[in-house]
Amino acid sequence: MKEEFREASAVLENKWVKKWKEGGGKVVGYTCSYVPDEIFYAAGILPYRVRGFGAEAMTIGDTYFGPFICSLPKCMLQLAGQGGFDFLDGVIITPGCDSMRRLDECWRKMGDDAGAHMPAFHFHFGVPHKFTDYSVTWFIEETRRLVAEVERHFNVTITNEKLGEAIRVHNKTRLLLERFDAIRSQADPPISGTDALAVILAGTTMPRDDYNSLLGELVGELEQGGERLAGRARLMLVGSASDDVELVRLIEGDRALVVADNLCFGTRFYSNLVNEEGDPVEELAKRSLAHNDCPRMYGEYRDRLNRLINKAGKARVQGVILQNIRFCDLHGSENGLFERDLEKAGIPCMRLEREYGPIVESGRMRMRIDAFLERIV
Amino acid sequence: MRKETREYKFDWMLWTMFDAGAKIKKGFPKEYSHSLNYMPYFRGVIEPMLATGDPGQKFIECCAAYLDNLVHSRDKGFKTAITTFCFSPAILYAMDIVPVCLEILSVMQTLTGKRGTAEHLDYCNEVGYTETSCSSQRGSLGGYLAGNGAEIDMIVTDTPGVCDTNANAFAFAAAYLDKPFFSLDMPPELNGVRSDAYHLGDFRALIAFLEKHTGKKLDIDKLREIMQRIQKQDELVAELEDLARLRPSPMPVTFNFMVHASRFLFAGMPECTVCLESMLAVAKENAAAGRSGLSSGVEKLRSFWCYIDHYTQNLRLWQMLERNNICYQGNILSRSWAANAPHVKEYGTEAAAYELDLSTLDSMILGMALLNSRMPMIKSIRGPYDAKNMWLEDTVNLAKLHGADFIVYNGTPGCRNTWGMVKMFARDTEKAGFPTYIMYADAFDDRVESWEATQERFEEFLTVRGLL
Repeated sequence: MKEEFREASAVLENKWVKKWKEGGGKVVGYTCSYVPDEIFYAAGILPYRVRGFGAEAMTIGDTYFGPFICSLPKCMLQLAGQGGFDFLDGVIITPGCDSMRRLDECWRKMGDDAGAHMPAFHFHFGVPHKFTDYSVTWFIEETRRLVAEVERHFNVTITNEKLGEAIRVHNKTRLLLERFDAIRSQADPPISGTDALAVILAGTTMPRDDYNSLLGELVGELEQGGERLAGRARLMLVGSASDDVELVRLIEGDRALVVADNLCFGTRFYSNLVNEEGDPVEELAKRSLAHNDCPRMYGEYRDRLNRLINKAGKARVQGVILQNIRFCDLHGSENGLFERDLEKAGIPCMRLEREYGPIVESGRMRMRIDAFLERIV
Repeated sequence: MRKETREYKFDWMLWTMFDAGAKIKKGFPKEYSHSLNYMPYFRGVIEPMLATGDPGQKFIECCAAYLDNLVHSRDKGFKTAITTFCFSPAILYAMDIVPVCLEILSVMQTLTGKRGTAEHLDYCNEVGYTETSCSSQRGSLGGYLAGNGAEIDMIVTDTPGVCDTNANAFAFAAAYLDKPFFSLDMPPELNGVRSDAYHLGDFRALIAFLEKHTGKKLDIDKLREIMQRIQKQDELVAELEDLARLRPSPMPVTFNFMVHASRFLFAGMPECTVCLESMLAVAKENAAAGRSGLSSGVEKLRSFWCYIDHYTQNLRLWQMLERNNICYQGNILSRSWAANAPHVKEYGTEAAAYELDLSTLDSMILGMALLNSRMPMIKSIRGPYDAKNMWLEDTVNLAKLHGADFIVYNGTPGCRNTWGMVKMFARDTEKAGFPTYIMYADAFDDRVESWEATQERFEEFLTVRGLL
């Protein structure tokens, strides 16, 4: 696999970000896949998905967040407080979930206390929890509000033409990643789940044109064939945000392959195209809100279940790992329902609760995964 | 879940207990004291409630009537909807639906049961619902997931955008029980044209949902009648709030609990009016005599609870406050007001209140939508805590209004939303001049932290901060 993907997925301020900044470019971070990053592309700004990997302590996170909070936003805050995101010129916080939305206040207050580490541009981007005519109307207005604020703060003009171009470029990514998905789903695929996650993650932290170019090359190469990974159990990974390739490496070991996923940092990031006709802001808003893959979209469980069953069938998975970060009640509870209904559909499942951050309990996790593999193979 | 627990439906058990409790004082004193022996785990509630006189009696009757409707809903021709405390039940009553309020049922169990809600809490986990979720819903949800409660027809909530763990409980229940589900969604901002339009569109969709699943059209006259009662109840609540500002406060410590519980059970219904009127009569009498509502008659401190109470068995929270001569000046649950309330005008927070215009169907629906969007918790913890009209502003204004000496936060470990901001919030309330205590207990589950430990820590806070 191309080294560029590895670096872009595993280094916070990677070489692409550095190069962008050296060229005088601006970078804006965001925390949720419901943010239409095409807006930043159209503004000539690098959109950057904020992550928490690499945090080695929780001292800053625990200072501002209470104890019963998911460790992902705590790790993000920790990194922010240590200057890890000082390269950001702006940050957008969304109410993806309750833990994540309070990163808004925590980051601001930490910035006030430290007198540093708070990007100059800060925006609370509301995202409804349902897809209806009135919620779409509200969300279109919210998206226009974001566009206007970006224009004002960064002194740029985001025209419909630029947005249209951004949509085409991002749709190209989505189509390439669909082909990439098909490769992952092959029998004895030529790429591991660990590397696949790195490829997908890179798209959230590097300039989109460069990414498309590298991704196009990779997909082309993989479609031509390559070294096959044979004789491994085929797994699907589902649940809480998971942006750590080391977690997938741990799950795969040398006996399994993650051939499909339904993760916020995984396939949810690129599913569904934006309609290239019509008003671009409206189309961006509609595509984002129509995403009901996340359990934050309440009452859509059956759709999500059916999608998982279809995906499991297409990828011929032998088992599903339903993981959640502790205190992630949305995924944790839905995993309980998935376990009941997927098992009923003949798909073996394993639930795994974990903490986000350095994998300090690899022994426990390895043992459970091994036991699960023994069951399904 | 133990076999014995499944022997009788849990809400039916609650009904029999409250129904008996509502009648117990109507006999001779000897009958009363003798009967208490038959309700060993309920007497700790019944006695202090009934000791408040007519308001306590009316409140127990109100609870009994609610439970009677719930367990006999089919016989009475009602549908049932699992719902949440911060969803105004008025629209449900207008559609002949009994609100099955999970949190209230959990409180009823924690206050009265030897084991509290433990078995229901754990049952939820057994069927896949996370143990880290809020105990307020789990405490009774477990009974319904186990099929050990009244028949349920639908599930409605209004907490998306406000509280994930709350909303998630209802979404989980709908998926698990395979019942129709509707949720009102809340945008981050309380006010403004966009928010108003969203609230209204959402509420219209709710009505369409209710009409579909009851097979009935919304009856305008019935809705108007209910809203007229809400207006009356709002006036009563405003008067009680006004009286609570007096020094000493003429409100007995349990009144606040009874005010908000009455509204959660029967907003817009006569039962709620009766309770409020009874409380107001006592408060007025105390006020006229310059008497504190505390049983000792001595008011040493005034507490404001910025979130919820602690519903451990036998009203021990309120007993502790009584013992320490601390009056209870309210919490987030009682903070839902009409815009014409005097204290709302005084603080210029009309925008965070609601207006009810009964002139047309459209205006009534708008009024109900705004009322629902300004229910406790719904109105003040949806956006950043330090934003306009949100938690900090609401709390500090109210603490000032009621002359509070200190502020207490208590919730449950499941409250992801407030635990994400309470440390910074408390720092800001301290800056505003209010010593602030964060309790780490679980309001609905003594197993998380024993009441004894909770009490000791609370009293230590009062001592260390020189308040007592």
